[in-house]
Amino acid sequence: MASNPYDVLGVPSSASAADIQKAYRKLAKKLHPDLNPGNKTAEEKFKEVAAAYDVLGDAEKRKRFDNGEIDSSGTEQPQHRFYRDFAGAEEGHSYTSSAGFADYTDEDDAFAELLRRSRYARANRRGEDLHYRLAIEFVESITGADKRVTLPDGGTLDVKIPPGLVDGQVLRLKSKGAPGAGKGGAGDALIEVEVLPDRRFTRDGDNIFLELPISLSEAVLGGQVRVPTPTGDVTMSVPKGSNTGTTLRLRGKGAPRRGGGSGDELVKLKIILPKSPDPELEAFVANWGNGKNFNPREGNAS
Amino acid sequence: MIMGIQQFLTSSGIQMQTLEFWLEQEWLIPEQTASGMRFSETDVARAHLIQSLKVDFGVNDEGIDVALHLIDQLHGIRRALAQVHEEMRGGSV
Repeated sequence: MASNPYDVLGVPSSASAADIQKAYRKLAKKLHPDLNPGNKTAEEKFKEVAAAYDVLGDAEKRKRFDNGEIDSSGTEQPQHRFYRDFAGAEEGHSYTSSAGFADYTDEDDAFAELLRRSRYARANRRGEDLHYRLAIEFVESITGADKRVTLPDGGTLDVKIPPGLVDGQVLRLKSKGAPGAGKGGAGDALIEVEVLPDRRFTRDGDNIFLELPISLSEAVLGGQVRVPTPTGDVTMSVPKGSNTGTTLRLRGKGAPRRGGGSGDELVKLKIILPKSPDPELEAFVANWGNGKNFNPREGNAS
Repeated sequence: MIMGIQQFLTSSGIQMQTLEFWLEQEWLIPEQTASGMRFSETDVARAHLIQSLKVDFGVNDEGIDVALHLIDQLHGIRRALAQVHEEMRGGSV
């Protein structure tokens, strides 16, 4: 027989939704198995609390419970396995960190010695994870690439850069870390990839930005221009009457998305006048009536 | 069990966009192979933990970052403790 969910959470039946949530969170913090990895009894209690909250945390279910239409049993969520079951596993896994006690192993006493031995000389110990850094070109981060990292010991590691990689992404290469002892497997190599800035391209999410200089003639009359993309140059039509700041979209020329498809390349036009003053252009503009009458700052609040 | 990206999304009940954010934050670091990312059951359990922190506990992204860091250290300490324990019990001390 399931106990009354109000009793489980320790709230009166008149409690507000906010009070119920507060009570649940308070209990869950103490009982959630992943926040209390050493507390064996926590899991059963947590399930009870979670089941109670499943009823009372949902306005509709709570109403039905209050009306006696449902009881608090049978509402238990299908339980997934908790993270602590994996993090504590013998064969080890690579999220655990020794940052919380590494200083103790530096000491010069019996305890530190014990800790050192247990860390480094244990039978069937999984090898340490090794961390590396790798810098790649922007274009390589978009198209993907095969790179080779030279290790401090002179060895090398082949790394496949997945297309669309973002700056700072960490790649895990299974079993490419330090060898383990006995039955313990090798650790992993964790490679943090830095994407070097590019002179032309910048990236925002899946999209790539590029500023493209165009001539006055191309802006006024329109025309076909060559545009660099990470996968090579393409031809793009500049529409008649384009302006500095006009942004054109090259669909699918951005960064590949992990789920399939690609972002776009956004090309921002920038009109560049000829380097040396052009007498013909000056003469034309001097006599160009409409040009003088047009004030681009008109109606501009700033 | 080792799984690809689609199966991982189904098992963990998260969206592609969420996964991308988590990868960026380094909350999840799946194995990288020539044919793409490979996820383990550890990664699935860790995804459930992150979801619990976010949804059940109302922890914001910065808080999750801190919590995961501390949890990872906690497990490191637990493992070291277990090893020391074993040494003392079975060993020469």
